[in-house]
Amino acid sequence: MSSQKKRPARIEPFRHKVETDPKFFEKSWKKLHDAIREIYNHNASGLSFEELYRTAYNMVLYKHGPALYDNLIKTMTEHLQEMRISIEDAQGGLFLEELQRKWDDHNKALQMIRDVLMYMDRTYIPSSKKTAVFDLGLELWRDTIVRSAKIHGRLLDTLLDLIHSERMGDVINRSLMRSTTKMLMDLGSSVYQDDFERPFLEVSASFYSGESQQFIECCACGEYLKKAQRRLDEEAERVSQYMDAKTDEKITAVVVKETLTNHMQRLFLMENSGLVSMLVEDKYEDLTMMYNLFRRVPDGHSTIKSIMTSHVKETGKSLVTDPERMKDPVDFVQRLLNEKDKYDNIISTSFANDKGFQNALNSSFEYFINLNNRSPEFISLYVDDKLRKGMKDANEEDVETVLDKVMMLFRYLQEKDLFEKYYKQHLAKRLLSGRAASDDSERSMLVKLKTECGYQFTSKLEGMFTDLKTSQDTTQGFYAANPSDTADAPLISVQILTTGSWPTQPCSTCNLPPEVLAVSEKFRAYYLGTHNGRRLTWQTNMGSADIKVTFGNGSKHELNVSTYQMCVLMLFNTADCLTYRDIEQATAIPPVDLKRCLQSLALVKGKNVLRKEPMSRDISADDSFYVNDKFTSKLFKVKIGTVAVQKESEPEKMETRHRVEEDRKPQIEAAIVRIMKARRVLDHNSIVTEVTKQLQPRFLPNPVVIKKRIESLIEREFLERDKVDRKMYRYLA
Amino acid sequence: MCTPAAGRVRLNVGGRVFETTADTLASAGRDTMLGAMLDASWNVPATTSEYFIDRDPACFAVLLDLLRTGGLHLPPHVPEAALCREALYYGLLDRVRAARWADLDGDRLRLAASVPGRAPGDGAAVRAAPDGGCCVAHGAAVRVYNWMLQERRPVHLAHKPVNDAAYLDAATLLVATRDSSGGGVAAFSALTGDLRHRYLLTHDRQPRPFTPGALAFDNHHSTIFASCKGRLNEYGVAAWDAATGEQADFFYEPPACALGDADALQWLHGTGTLMAATMFPRADSSFVTLLDFRCRTVAWSWSDVGTPASLEDKHAVHAVAMEDGWSVCVVNQYDDLGFLDLRSNARGVRWRSGSKLTGRKKVCAEETCYPKLATHGGQLFASTTTGAISVFSGPDHALTSTLRASDGGVVCDLSIGGDRLFALHNEENVFDVWETPPLPII
Repeated sequence: MSSQKKRPARIEPFRHKVETDPKFFEKSWKKLHDAIREIYNHNASGLSFEELYRTAYNMVLYKHGPALYDNLIKTMTEHLQEMRISIEDAQGGLFLEELQRKWDDHNKALQMIRDVLMYMDRTYIPSSKKTAVFDLGLELWRDTIVRSAKIHGRLLDTLLDLIHSERMGDVINRSLMRSTTKMLMDLGSSVYQDDFERPFLEVSASFYSGESQQFIECCACGEYLKKAQRRLDEEAERVSQYMDAKTDEKITAVVVKETLTNHMQRLFLMENSGLVSMLVEDKYEDLTMMYNLFRRVPDGHSTIKSIMTSHVKETGKSLVTDPERMKDPVDFVQRLLNEKDKYDNIISTSFANDKGFQNALNSSFEYFINLNNRSPEFISLYVDDKLRKGMKDANEEDVETVLDKVMMLFRYLQEKDLFEKYYKQHLAKRLLSGRAASDDSERSMLVKLKTECGYQFTSKLEGMFTDLKTSQDTTQGFYAANPSDTADAPLISVQILTTGSWPTQPCSTCNLPPEVLAVSEKFRAYYLGTHNGRRLTWQTNMGSADIKVTFGNGSKHELNVSTYQMCVLMLFNTADCLTYRDIEQATAIPPVDLKRCLQSLALVKGKNVLRKEPMSRDISADDSFYVNDKFTSKLFKVKIGTVAVQKESEPEKMETRHRVEEDRKPQIEAAIVRIMKARRVLDHNSIVTEVTKQLQPRFLPNPVVIKKRIESLIEREFLERDKVDRKMYRYLA
Repeated sequence: MCTPAAGRVRLNVGGRVFETTADTLASAGRDTMLGAMLDASWNVPATTSEYFIDRDPACFAVLLDLLRTGGLHLPPHVPEAALCREALYYGLLDRVRAARWADLDGDRLRLAASVPGRAPGDGAAVRAAPDGGCCVAHGAAVRVYNWMLQERRPVHLAHKPVNDAAYLDAATLLVATRDSSGGGVAAFSALTGDLRHRYLLTHDRQPRPFTPGALAFDNHHSTIFASCKGRLNEYGVAAWDAATGEQADFFYEPPACALGDADALQWLHGTGTLMAATMFPRADSSFVTLLDFRCRTVAWSWSDVGTPASLEDKHAVHAVAMEDGWSVCVVNQYDDLGFLDLRSNARGVRWRSGSKLTGRKKVCAEETCYPKLATHGGQLFASTTTGAISVFSGPDHALTSTLRASDGGVVCDLSIGGDRLFALHNEENVFDVWETPPLPII
């Protein structure tokens, strides 16, 4: 014993073997398994939640999590298989209802199972990266039922059939549809999209492709649009009733594509009912619908716009180039304004005041108005007409609206300087003949032109107004200065016009009657006495006179005549009969004017103060004139008009144009010099572009003219050509 | 119903009867055990007029108190671990955590715990988890702690030395390791320590070995970044898509940038750039660069190469981008703070004169840990060479608090997350957990 190594006594610790119940898992699982069965059988009232929760907790605590999870899958699948069979057995219309009932059952059961297994959800599942219990239940439902062989296709077909019959006008059970699609959405957006939405969109596309084909064959455009709108509304309503809100956009896109995009050209160009006839017939309602519907179509609005533009250009072009219309400028402009009003109304009522459409309209007007080079003249004549007469009973506001509209047309004009020329002429006539209806309207028109084109444009026009004002003062001053001398002489009212402000007239003097001559000479002396260094020329072709006449038959009248006419009539104070030649000699009025003046005195019915022999329309040198003693008129005051041409005659037109061209030359040159002064060196094309840009607000300069001006400036040594690059110009300071 | 009066509930927990209202219990939420138990789908036991729960009553009292008042009061005889276990049973653990500490405020910190380390190697890094847990990289393994500071199973990649670690989320941990044949980046479950995914690197479609340095995670675009050194001079910053695990990009190191060696990477969400900082003493000079991966350019860069001789002994040793997104804070080995302006390129460091509060001690022992920086909620946290942590607040970064705790020596790393501040000490591998207590009621 002693040889043996003495082993120290060791006290073994008491080894308590922790015996876990080997049946622990089976027992616990059985408890849960039974509970799950009771839950699925709607028999959960006897279950104790606390006990079940504690059981599941213990199973997870003792590391039975994986087995618990696997068993859960197995049990739940079994229950779902049973449900599947009962759903499959459901006949016809009961199918969806049965599916819905089972889905509700499953959801309820799943909620309770999750409650029991909450602890597993919190601990075991995150650390093992498994699917949480509730989501697991949904996945199992999806795979076992929704995507099972017998249910998958049947479910989809049932849904699509129901939707089809609803489209055909039947009433379907919408709440059932809603709960079914809700189920698909609950299973995840991908399930909803793959198993329902995509096929639904495909079926819808083919449905609408067929339907729209059918409609377009038999419907007019407006009717077709109404149907399309109704279908769109229906689909939106359907989505809001029983589909995912995200489907709205997609199904709308499908309907728009099938019914609108695919038939866009055909709809627009439909004979008798398409876009053009809607525009012609002012079909505001249809146009509004078209505008709203085609908002969704790519290129929809731009196509509408281009069709409208070409239609407006076409009608506008035929309007401005119609020789029939040229005869009446006022009517011509009125038609333009009406056309503009018409489209403005369409755009504001039907096209939501869309800026793009307004711009398109403006550019088409700009296009066709400038096709006729008499447009500036006509517009000025129109204004003349409005400001001269007819507006007398209209109030200020109406005048304003008309003027505003005219300004709109004015904006489209490219040759604004031409308009200015005519406007000046017409204004001068209005002012001198005292026919301007309202001073306020005239001034308001000036203000409009000023805001549109700047101070420069209207300075001369304003000068005209100032002249008239000063003339009045001067005349008053003249009579105040010579109260006695002039008592017996005819009253004169002199309008002193600044040369340059007024349209230049060839100065054609005539011999004034001695009475008038005397007083005018006095006036000249007075005026030159008060203003040093001025020159006064009589523009007898522009004045007017009031004369009192006693005819042979005793009737007395006061005649309002032009200065020339006055000169002629005064001759008859001393003679009874005068030949044309006599008159011409005595008055020295230019023959053209004299003829016109005699025509208006002798040949206008009702106003023939003179009698001509022979009684022909034309006036020849040997014709004799007598005072018409048989002259009668209801009125005491008789206004003798001049046979005047309102519109310009052909040579006059040529002359105006020539003058305008001449006036443009210095403007172009000034622009060139301004540009070159800033840039020093520039090539030809750039100069042309810049000049065009600068002068655009007044007129559109012709490149050929610009070239000529450049050459003239080179001659005058303002510019020189670059020695190396002949295209470059150099400014010579 | 079992309730003696409307809305009242009797609970028998482990023999002790509690009476409360259905509303109080329902306030726990439907996804808790108590909420589910009272749900209409579960019928009441018919025999008794009360609910029975087979659990510890003392802990239940604390939890019921929590539900009633929102505050957590732990009596001395209830161990914290037991309370947490019970809270987990009832599904109330999140509430307990929320009641434990408030939003982090550097001026109201208390030392919540000092957790002793056992690891053989030097503590390399501490990283805070989004939920208040943390991990500590020690030598060849990463020790993982939950927010109750209970240790989980450690994480390791074939026991290779760890360079850096980062949390992708509370349950996923990213680890970068090195070894002689290269290294690797891998994601682990922080809960179980299981390997989830290994991130691979290819150059010209050829898989290549590489050694990762620092890690960063952009959780908005779910992108992982790592500074990498390849065998064949493939230096740079790699990017992986965290969702797919596939390589998304590789930013090759431009000349004079030392990207592959970067010690710290930080994703700047405001500018959509990645800050890469390579610091002394790993490199001879310090570099800070901002990388723009969208156009593969260096958006901003700074380095202290060529600083005047008078400043030569001062090196930036750590950098952190400030939360405002337009400056980077750096610190040198003497605890001086400096700022770099990201809005202008190639400007020098604006050193703060007032930051020499700690005095200049010439500590250059081998064991010295250089200062580290962290930011949170507008405050700047800097560990100092004296072993304390300074808290700077306000727009001018005034020193407002100094934290000093266990005598584990100098702080070698700090990290903020889940409203907690973790400081890893150089000696003993102790780490301190700082948190802000809930505000007093009055």
